[in-house]
Amino acid sequence: MASGRQLFCRVITPERTIFDGEADRVITRIEDGEIGVLADHIPLVSTVEIGDVRILQEDETSVFATSDGFFKVSENLVLILVEEASPAEEIDVDEAQNHLEEVVEGEPVEDGEDEEAAERVRAERDRRRRIAENLVRVARKYGEG
Amino acid sequence: MATLRDLKRQIQSVQNTAKVTDALQTVSGVKFRKAGARVSQARPYADNMEIMMRDIARKASSKNPLLVGRENGASTVAVATLTADRGLCGGFNAQVLRKTIQFRRERGQDAELKQVASGRKGTAFFQFRRIQLEEVFSGFSDSPSYEKAREVGRYLTQLFENEEADEVYLVYNRFRSALVQQPVITRLLPAAPEDDGEEQQGEGPDVPFDYIPGTEEILQSLIPRYVETVVFQSLLESAAGEHGARMTAMKNATDNANEMSDNLTLQMNKARQAQITQEILEIASGAEALSAG
Repeated sequence: MASGRQLFCRVITPERTIFDGEADRVITRIEDGEIGVLADHIPLVSTVEIGDVRILQEDETSVFATSDGFFKVSENLVLILVEEASPAEEIDVDEAQNHLEEVVEGEPVEDGEDEEAAERVRAERDRRRRIAENLVRVARKYGEG
Repeated sequence: MATLRDLKRQIQSVQNTAKVTDALQTVSGVKFRKAGARVSQARPYADNMEIMMRDIARKASSKNPLLVGRENGASTVAVATLTADRGLCGGFNAQVLRKTIQFRRERGQDAELKQVASGRKGTAFFQFRRIQLEEVFSGFSDSPSYEKAREVGRYLTQLFENEEADEVYLVYNRFRSALVQQPVITRLLPAAPEDDGEEQQGEGPDVPFDYIPGTEEILQSLIPRYVETVVFQSLLESAAGEHGARMTAMKNATDNANEMSDNLTLQMNKARQAQITQEILEIASGAEALSAG
């Protein structure tokens, strides 16, 4: 490659690759705060928080609402491995809002005999709620409508 | 010898069967293609997770039991077997169950065994054999979602974390092609890549990664996620294998039915011929008797 300084980005979920292409800058939220990656970034591995990934290209910006996952930069390739990623312009705000309400109003956690198990269920529900909230937030902020 | 009417009835019934198996073959064919596409679409995630695991496992001199196992070896071994929910897919379920039984026999000598089943066929098999099941998952074998893989993965990781199991294995049909599914056993936990000797030269130069916050913290969240990924990939491969095996089995069944129908038709024609000959003979001999008299 002539330039050797072009940055690439891939956003991958267990089901499929959501984004794969060139990028000038990739911005996301990792463990200790927001990070903006440019070409020739040092190799780095971290965790991604529930939030958004913004991929800045010359004349357009792609935004994805993501769940938590992992983040890796090496040799000018930004890899983002998350369970869920939705392009902001494809999120239907109303649908996301309904989904959020469903999650919030879902069945209450039973305080059963096993405190530890109940705690896990609660944590899992909390995570689902935060992912749903994030979807609404990203849709409002970056979506079309 | 079967009468003409019996043969006709038999042919009809065989042809009906052929129609059903032919339809099943078509349906399985469509599902098989979809499932195969899902397997390959899911590969980038699984591959990258694996690379990340290997990198970090090599770098970290971690004592995390999820990675390196327990200090005093394994006294309890959990085995999770992935089968289909439905039959009519040739030896697909049988071969993975045979592999499980064989593995249980080997490890059962010096360790306590725990069995987990995914898929109704496996569940029924273990219940019939009176093998106690720790947990049963079913209802998604032909089109597994990540959500379900997460459930299974979580459960297995917890078995390990709660010290109910010191090692966790997964037995499933690895997908090769529509004709070939290979039953394999992989170790899920501890998650350290098993030494196959070749990895030292394999991976090229060490990239000095920065780890934020640190390797231990990343491992702690990466390992459960890695387990889920392996389970998901295995479920997808098993699903593709199931549809492939069913497609092949139904093709064979259709071919057999058609062959049988051909044979029966031949027999029927012979019987009809015999009947006609018989009738002519009777008429001829009757006429002869009349003219003689």
